[in-house]
Amino acid sequence: MRIVVGIKWVPNTQAVRFDPKTGTLIRTGVPAIVNPHDLPAAELALRLKDRYGGEVIVVTMAPPPAMQGLEHILGMGADRAVLLTDRAFAGADTLATSYVIARGIRKIEEEWGPVDLAVFGQETIDSSTAHIGAQVASWLGWPYIYYVKKAWLQDGRLRVVRHLESAVEEFEVSTPAVVSVAMKALKARPVRLSYKLRAKLESPITVWTNKDLGLDPRCVGLKGSPTIVSKVTYLPEVPRKKIVYKPRDPRDAARWILAQLFSDEKTREVLYKALWGG
Amino acid sequence: MARIDCGKLCPEWPCEQPEEFKHVWVIAEATEDGISEASLQMLTPALEIARKLDNKVVGILLGYNVSRHADTLIKHGADEVIVVDDIMLSEYYPEVYGQVIVDLAKKYKPEVILLAATMRGREMGPYIANTLRAGITADCTDFDVDEKTRDVLLIRPPFAAIMLAYIKTPFRRPQIGTARPNVFPVPPADESRKGEIKFEKPSILTARAKLVFRKILKREEIPIEKAEIIVSGGKGLGGPEGFKLLEELASILGGVVAGSRKAVDAGWISHERQVGQTGKSVKPILYIAVGISGAAQHMIGVREATRIVAINIDPEAPIFNQADYGVVGDYKEIVDALIEELRRLRDAGPQAVEELIREYAQQAQAAGQG
Ligand SMILES: Cc1cc2nc3c(=O)[nH]c(=O)nc-3n(C[C@H](O)[C@H](O)[C@H](O)COP(=O)(O)OP(=O)(O)OC[C@H]3O[C@@H](n4cnc5c(N)ncnc54)[C@H](O)[C@@H]3O)c2cc1C
Ligand SMILES: Nc1ncnc2c1ncn2[C@@H]1O[C@H](COP(=O)(O)O)[C@@H](O)[C@H]1O
Repeated sequence: MRIVVGIKWVPNTQAVRFDPKTGTLIRTGVPAIVNPHDLPAAELALRLKDRYGGEVIVVTMAPPPAMQGLEHILGMGADRAVLLTDRAFAGADTLATSYVIARGIRKIEEEWGPVDLAVFGQETIDSSTAHIGAQVASWLGWPYIYYVKKAWLQDGRLRVVRHLESAVEEFEVSTPAVVSVAMKALKARPVRLSYKLRAKLESPITVWTNKDLGLDPRCVGLKGSPTIVSKVTYLPEVPRKKIVYKPRDPRDAARWILAQLFSDEKTREVLYKALWGG
Repeated sequence: MARIDCGKLCPEWPCEQPEEFKHVWVIAEATEDGISEASLQMLTPALEIARKLDNKVVGILLGYNVSRHADTLIKHGADEVIVVDDIMLSEYYPEVYGQVIVDLAKKYKPEVILLAATMRGREMGPYIANTLRAGITADCTDFDVDEKTRDVLLIRPPFAAIMLAYIKTPFRRPQIGTARPNVFPVPPADESRKGEIKFEKPSILTARAKLVFRKILKREEIPIEKAEIIVSGGKGLGGPEGFKLLEELASILGGVVAGSRKAVDAGWISHERQVGQTGKSVKPILYIAVGISGAAQHMIGVREATRIVAINIDPEAPIFNQADYGVVGDYKEIVDALIEELRRLRDAGPQAVEELIREYAQQAQAAGQG
């Protein structure tokens, strides 16, 4: 199987702090990481390769520093990496991003042969849209399925198990196909230094700019993006009482809380109902 | 309204003028029990947008044997329903359902399409939008309309939940957005409302995916978005045992447990029960946050809680600034004491509450004087 995995190099959003005095985000010094939800996607692709042979190609559309992200996946055992990068790609929304990725997959097919499966993470931690997988499927005209936890081949077709809010489903999907892998579905294997080095020696990361892909500049980046951010505001604060109590001991804490809640007309009734019904 | 200069558009996009598009669509998810509540909730923003655009609200209903549910959409506010009822749609496949909706949208040209961001909605929405070469904005928390340009503003918290981004798609129609369940209420039903129901045939499609097997999972408990009291735990619980204690508290209060993303990430509680930007929005009467720091992405999910109680060991924790009643201390001891005190009150009866209130009122008075 030839499997493409899409990843994103994202700021570690957990490390982004808010400065309440200036009302801005503190992003300086925030380290970038591979989007954590893409690691199970890479793991799923590698397990399919372990079982059925073939190759795993990791791809991202991003500025050059994202090479570190590609190296991480190479270190897990991916065979090749492709960086799709161009100033013209800047400012892309998900439609324009997915367009470049889809055309990147087409070029991968021209270079190395047909792709059987494109695997994505469920969503990114910095935008959480979960758009890219379905959009790439739409550009390529491939069937797709989200939230996959397990995948294998049966009678030459792809089988997947996925979980919805209140159902477990198994699907048979014809290939080529797109799947997105559920968050935390699989534990990703560690990075091996020897893999990283070998990948670097044998097949360095392939870089394709827009010239290589030959895309109309009106279809990529900001120009190729139907959505426009027209303004950004701050959410108004919800008024709260903000009464903070330092109790003498745990019992005092418990009694203080209950005294507040029982004397508060908004909560009294629901507590009476809970304790004595009606 | 802006005229679109076709020469400037990506040639992969159809060149259409905004005035060719009319009406606000809500994609309705039909389940065994009827139209999903999450879809009905989307009628609330749809009605508001339609009012501002002087448009109709149209429900889109796909499936097999679903025609009987069209009425529900009308009673809750839709002016019209387009039904595609066909055996080919007896199973949901994102690509197949997506393509049927794309074909309808090409025929009728809706100005706006709204979907509930359920797992299926999140799966199907971007396919529909992309195949129409239209923009899509996920997880909107509000919508507005620029009445001059007829642009819908799709409002969502980006990245950091304290901000709101206003997104529009001035050069493409339809304008497509999703919202998480329970961000909007279901509009009240009016049993006497009448509306038009149209039937359409699906295009001939072959599903390239096939459902082999489905197991419906029974929900053991009330989903958190329905609960009046929620006891929610965070990283500060230190481990899964902490949730046992919270369960005990929740059960005395007739409530349910939920958690922060860090608690979910640690595997102490299921993602179903995550509150916040990438979890659920809840609106209980009482939200007790235990060992939760109060990150913006968490707090956005409890904006509509009537009262918030915070229990946290760190007096500097940001949650104290966003709660009604905060107590500083180790949660284990405090939750233990809460359970014990609630049991005592329950056994002693309502008059014990009066004593408690009197005691603390006196204390507050004393503190005020001192
Ligand atoms: C795009 C994006 C989306 C996100 N979506 C969500 C979301 O949907 N939901 C969500 O919750 N988060 C979300 N987050 C994560 C969020 O930013 C926070 O990291 C998270 O909410 C923190 O969880 P926490 O409060 O449990 O943990 P922490 O921030 O680690 O806080 C733990 C708290 O426990 C207290 N504590 C420790 N020990 C005790 C004790 N013994 N007794 C009492 N208190 C104690 C500590 O003082 C501390 O305040 C998102 C982040 C991003 C970037
Ligand atoms: N710039 C990108 N390059 C390659 N893959 C991406 C990119 N952005 C997102 N993806 C993939 O698409 C998934 C969903 O992302 P999103 O739609 O941004 O939430 C991610 O988990 C990645 O697998």
